[in-house]
Amino acid sequence: MPDPFPRVQIPFTTLSEALLAAPQQKAFVTMWIDDNDERTFTFGEFSQWANAQAASFKEHGVRRGDTVILIMPQGVALMAAFTGAMLLGAVPAILAYPTFKVEPAKYRFGLAGISANLKAKLVVVDESFPVVFAETVGLGDQSKVIRVNSLPLISGNGDLTDTSCESQDLAFIQHSAGTTGLQKGVALSHGAVLRQLAHLTKALKIGPHDRIYSWLPLYHDMGLIACFILPMVYHLRVVMQPPTDWVLQPESMLHLISKYKCTLSWVPNFTLQFLARRVKPEYRKEYDLASLRALINCSEPVRAESMDSFTAAFSSCGLQPTALQSSYAMAENVFAVTQSAIDGTSMPRRIWIESSKYQSEQIAVPIDKGSASSACFISSGQCLPNNEVRIVSENGEALPDGHVGEILIRSDSMLDGYYNRPDLTTLSLRDGWYWSGDLGFLLDRELYITGRKKDLIIVGGKNIYPQDVEEIAFSHPAIHDGRAVAFGCYNPDLGTEEIVLVAEVEELSNLGDSSTIDRAIRSAIVADLGVVPRAIYLKPPRWIVKSTAGKPARSATREKLLAEHAELRIR
Amino acid sequence: MTDSTKDAKELIDYICKEIIRRPDVQIAVDTPLVSSGLIDSFSLVDVLSKLEDLTAMRIPAGKVQPKDMDTVNLMLSTAHRVGKPRK
Repeated sequence: MPDPFPRVQIPFTTLSEALLAAPQQKAFVTMWIDDNDERTFTFGEFSQWANAQAASFKEHGVRRGDTVILIMPQGVALMAAFTGAMLLGAVPAILAYPTFKVEPAKYRFGLAGISANLKAKLVVVDESFPVVFAETVGLGDQSKVIRVNSLPLISGNGDLTDTSCESQDLAFIQHSAGTTGLQKGVALSHGAVLRQLAHLTKALKIGPHDRIYSWLPLYHDMGLIACFILPMVYHLRVVMQPPTDWVLQPESMLHLISKYKCTLSWVPNFTLQFLARRVKPEYRKEYDLASLRALINCSEPVRAESMDSFTAAFSSCGLQPTALQSSYAMAENVFAVTQSAIDGTSMPRRIWIESSKYQSEQIAVPIDKGSASSACFISSGQCLPNNEVRIVSENGEALPDGHVGEILIRSDSMLDGYYNRPDLTTLSLRDGWYWSGDLGFLLDRELYITGRKKDLIIVGGKNIYPQDVEEIAFSHPAIHDGRAVAFGCYNPDLGTEEIVLVAEVEELSNLGDSSTIDRAIRSAIVADLGVVPRAIYLKPPRWIVKSTAGKPARSATREKLLAEHAELRIR
Repeated sequence: MTDSTKDAKELIDYICKEIIRRPDVQIAVDTPLVSSGLIDSFSLVDVLSKLEDLTAMRIPAGKVQPKDMDTVNLMLSTAHRVGKPRK
């Protein structure tokens, strides 16, 4: 098939080349440790660390094209290990570090599945990684587990960059939604990543003085691409802190943006509301957010009330009304597909549509702002250069403007495929178009996201499959196998969805133990998926609505539960 | 009643009434809260703030991890380990 996009000029062939071209004395990454401890590494220091890490990996037998799994806490050591693997031409993949909440047996099972699929040459963990997790990882004959410490390494081995690497070679693997056992590895080439960054930096009007702030995890595309790879390739400074530290001290984000005069940041929608509610008004005068050119709402549906809450809370801190922006992104496209206009004067477009027509026919008809029975939508912006979006019906027919359908994407930064999963690749990539499973509509070239075809639940930016939650419920002996339904329920107080689970008990008498069953399932969900369900409803046998095929009907069961429980409806 | 017992009781009351908000749930000083899914990490900001008020200490959040806050006992010992008396 002919290439549908004009060729984009990229100054580098590989990501490693971009790093090595950086001004050595310029500050690259500042890592916030706590109130009294921050550490900054220049591009030169970082390159040296990455090079030393590459030398170590080489000694362990890693060669060009080998996959290397990294399971380390958020930090510069992880970034250096990732880059070190790329310097050798190897293909790194970051996996989430296990939290104390995880159940060891299930974590081991998930890790074994991923490492077997990746056929990893090396699994790199930090010094504190629990032995119980590492010892039974299902590795191939040629692979091993090594531990690295968090102290900077210095190597005298010279530049280890594999200059034979080509643009079309794989750069790294990102993991998308699902439990650890079911995650799909999104394989991305150097060329795809560099083309995406070329388009993104153009849309963002990136300049040499831009500074990025991030609390986002590096195993997520927003944290990895926007807040690590982008500043590494375009030689910008990034100020980071680990997500767990930010959660306990959310105002530290505002402190760091103020202190370092950061200009760009990406956050999932809930962050805006979390900050607006948790940072006390009397402390707000300490922050100066005037430097922010763009605080980009991404990876969760963009909500008007969350944007407005944040603006109202922090406009007194110098926050420009045009700073809050939006984007639609996914790992399969490296990162962004669309971006709202960043020109210092525009805000993401808002439209009000007629609710009844939208609900009955899935057609968005704009009406006057604030009209009765209207719903407000915020655009995620227009396509980046060399990115195209098409909206299609259930049977794949192209839909006109305003009609809700599945979002298909075509670009010059698309994934090579799901690593070692040609079956999944064939399902998602057809005739050059990626079938996203997301629902939305186009209006005047602006993309509006309305939901998910796949019933995915997004909790604080984290993608959760309802099937994974239901499987956990089925494993409880008091729950009837196959009789549970999980779905997402938007909580406007938090600005994100929460998990609601309804499950049938085996025997009516089990309802007497509801509290115990609830706690057991709740604990298992936290251990497996790392999220807390909002509510678990236990119901008598034959309560769940079944489809004609005898399976639980997710949508009808959801409606039945909402009808019975007003506390779910009012949110 | 000792000060620490009183603090524990008050913290339990606060967590039950303001965070968990479920009449069917009773917790004790050693009940796992975060790892059991009774409270999520985002609620820990409120719990930390309450802990500071109760203990009259400033607790640097940067020195606290969610695992240090999994039970009421852990919360109180964390406060005494990393907290500094308020001026």
